Amino acid sequence: MNLSYTEEQVMLREQIQKFCETEYDFYKREEVVKSEDDFDANAWSLFAEQGWLSMPFSEESGGFGFGPVELSILFEEFGKSLVIEPYLSNVVLAGSVLDKSNFEGKVELIENICSGSMHVSLAYAEAAHSYEYLKPDTNVSDNKLNGTKTLVLNGNNASKVIVSCVRNGELSLVLVDTTADGVSFNTFRTIDEKTCAEFTFENVSIQDSDVIASGDEAQNLLTETINLATLCISAEAVGCMVSCYHKTVQYTKEREQFDQPISNFQVLQHRMVDMFIDSELAKSLLFKAMLEVDADSEDKFRHVSALKAHVGKFGKLSAQNAVQLHGGMGVSEEMMIGHYLKKMVAIDAMFGNADYHLKSFSK
Amino acid sequence: MDINFSKEDLAFRDELREWLANDYPKHVKDKMDKGEHLTRQDMVDYHKALSAKGWMGYNWPVEYGGTGWSATQLYLFNKEFGMAGCPPLLAFGVSMVAPVIWTFGNEEQKKRFLPDILDFNTWWCQGYSEPGSGSDLASLKTKAVKDGDHYVVNGSKTWTTLAQNADWIFLLVRTDSTGKKQEGISFLLVDMKTPGIEVKPIITIDGDHEVNSVFFTDVKVPVENLVGEEGKGWTYAKFLLAHERFGIAAVGASMRALNELKEVVAELNNSDLDKKVAEMEIAISALEMTELRLLSDLENGGHPGAESSILKIKGTEIQQGLTELFVEAAGEYALMYPGAGGYGSNDKPSGPEHAAVSLEKFLNFRKTSIYGGSNEIQKNIISKFVLGV
Repeated sequence: MNLSYTEEQVMLREQIQKFCETEYDFYKREEVVKSEDDFDANAWSLFAEQGWLSMPFSEESGGFGFGPVELSILFEEFGKSLVIEPYLSNVVLAGSVLDKSNFEGKVELIENICSGSMHVSLAYAEAAHSYEYLKPDTNVSDNKLNGTKTLVLNGNNASKVIVSCVRNGELSLVLVDTTADGVSFNTFRTIDEKTCAEFTFENVSIQDSDVIASGDEAQNLLTETINLATLCISAEAVGCMVSCYHKTVQYTKEREQFDQPISNFQVLQHRMVDMFIDSELAKSLLFKAMLEVDADSEDKFRHVSALKAHVGKFGKLSAQNAVQLHGGMGVSEEMMIGHYLKKMVAIDAMFGNADYHLKSFSK
Repeated sequence: MDINFSKEDLAFRDELREWLANDYPKHVKDKMDKGEHLTRQDMVDYHKALSAKGWMGYNWPVEYGGTGWSATQLYLFNKEFGMAGCPPLLAFGVSMVAPVIWTFGNEEQKKRFLPDILDFNTWWCQGYSEPGSGSDLASLKTKAVKDGDHYVVNGSKTWTTLAQNADWIFLLVRTDSTGKKQEGISFLLVDMKTPGIEVKPIITIDGDHEVNSVFFTDVKVPVENLVGEEGKGWTYAKFLLAHERFGIAAVGASMRALNELKEVVAELNNSDLDKKVAEMEIAISALEMTELRLLSDLENGGHPGAESSILKIKGTEIQQGLTELFVEAAGEYALMYPGAGGYGSNDKPSGPEHAAVSLEKFLNFRKTSIYGGSNEIQKNIISKFVLGV
């Protein structure tokens, strides 16, 4: 047994940390958030140059073949800096589906994702089927796609969307060009300063060559991909939890009231210790989950659920405590700390909240 | 990263399981499986069986007759024995006073005390807390005054676990009250048969007689029973408390309790309780991985420090939480006064079997967040040494 990161993994973390510290401070991020842009195009090119966009893809698809451990490192660090660039939607969601499929045109699409030149989104959610992604109402009949997909992450920037639907009576994943006839969408902002789109498909023409996967294959691809994405955003939550206690400790040491730093008060100390402990436990569950996913074990879904249930509950609690201990500053839009709370709410909401995963875990 | 144990460690685990299947004394196992109380003789039999296998010195170096096990082996030992429902090992001799004796004692003391601890010929108890000194242990007042070739001890100790069974007590005493309170403390080894020692039971809310008050009136202790130097006792006391941490997470025992709880809850069709049990299972998994992470760090040459306080805090919260869920699962039978013999007896009251012991355990386990440095003290430790505030 050895639970230390390899030298390469430590270097990867340092590389991402360096980027986040030098190129991605909160005020720069705020400028982007307040501008017309959804994310920083320069940062996105840099992700491509550094090879981060190619990380998890198999070598046959032109990637580095990195696994869930490396992805978790990346997301943990992204969580600390509240990175808004659409990595999850492009690389993890759309990318994994393509990479693990037998789709003919996949290599070219993946190349475009890796170079940062094209955005692809996965349309997995529908309003009537919250958290249940395997029985969509969207369907293809007579080669026509009809239906509405919600919460398509980064969908407004995507050239292509992978749509889950029912075709020939079985679950299918089909590739749709967002400029095709019959495709329309509205753009929405998410509380963690990203964007998502609601797509409506009206008699959009679908050929056999647009079908990425069907039946069991489609079901497996979708289930595996959502599980991996759940792991990634949970790792992001772990990063947030670490930052929440770090920043709160730092703040309470500097903030003086009653002629002393408020960190002198035991009631605050113990609350910060609770935040620290919950972040360590979250880290432990992350280790377990990422190793199970890496080993492709039977229990991998259960352990990801355990992690997601924990960060859903305690991540929010940590962020709420961070806000509380920052006092009025905690609820100020201009301070970073309150944004962790929004991020934790967003993470809990995605791919099954704490209650949902607690139920999945106990099944 | 590799979460699997080595072939050698797995072989070691098999050896542990073999002992548990064949050599774990039957009469002790039967009582433990039924949640019954053990007698002094049961405890002696159990420890002597371990001695016979050569495992009594589970955390001792080989040169003193110990196993010389690695941190991973110790972890497996604790986990497997916990999962088998074995009684917790009495720490006072083997893992508390013994390391102090071999580290700070003289050759004569090592020869005199260590072999008997290893063979479980002597039952030790701990003379630390006093009525006025709990978390603020260094304020202790029990006095030892040197008089020729012996010390004269006067004062009292409290919460002394199983003092009624003990042959010897290790004692923190004040030999000097002029300087700082941490200075002037000394570490004495005292024969419980010495005239002037009186043990009085303290009955806890679970009805059990586990802890005692121990009174010392002009107790004469030979000077050769002083460990190390006079006035350095506080250093030895802190060293000892660091050794007490072993196995404090109690992951194995909690996993066993969880499995029993799941069996009980499966019959109840109570989705609220199901949810709480699932949360508990996740908490145990998180605790286990935290312990493994610390273990891996240790095996890689790291020195995890105050982080191990997490194991104490979370380990005890989980142990208590499990007993609370058993009480919830008992439903209306949580009302029952235990059997005709009352608390502390092995009689069974009306109601399902799992309900019968649930209340006693729930009440008994309140101690876990109080002893070994209360959980609030553990939080102070993390606050100071990890958060740096």
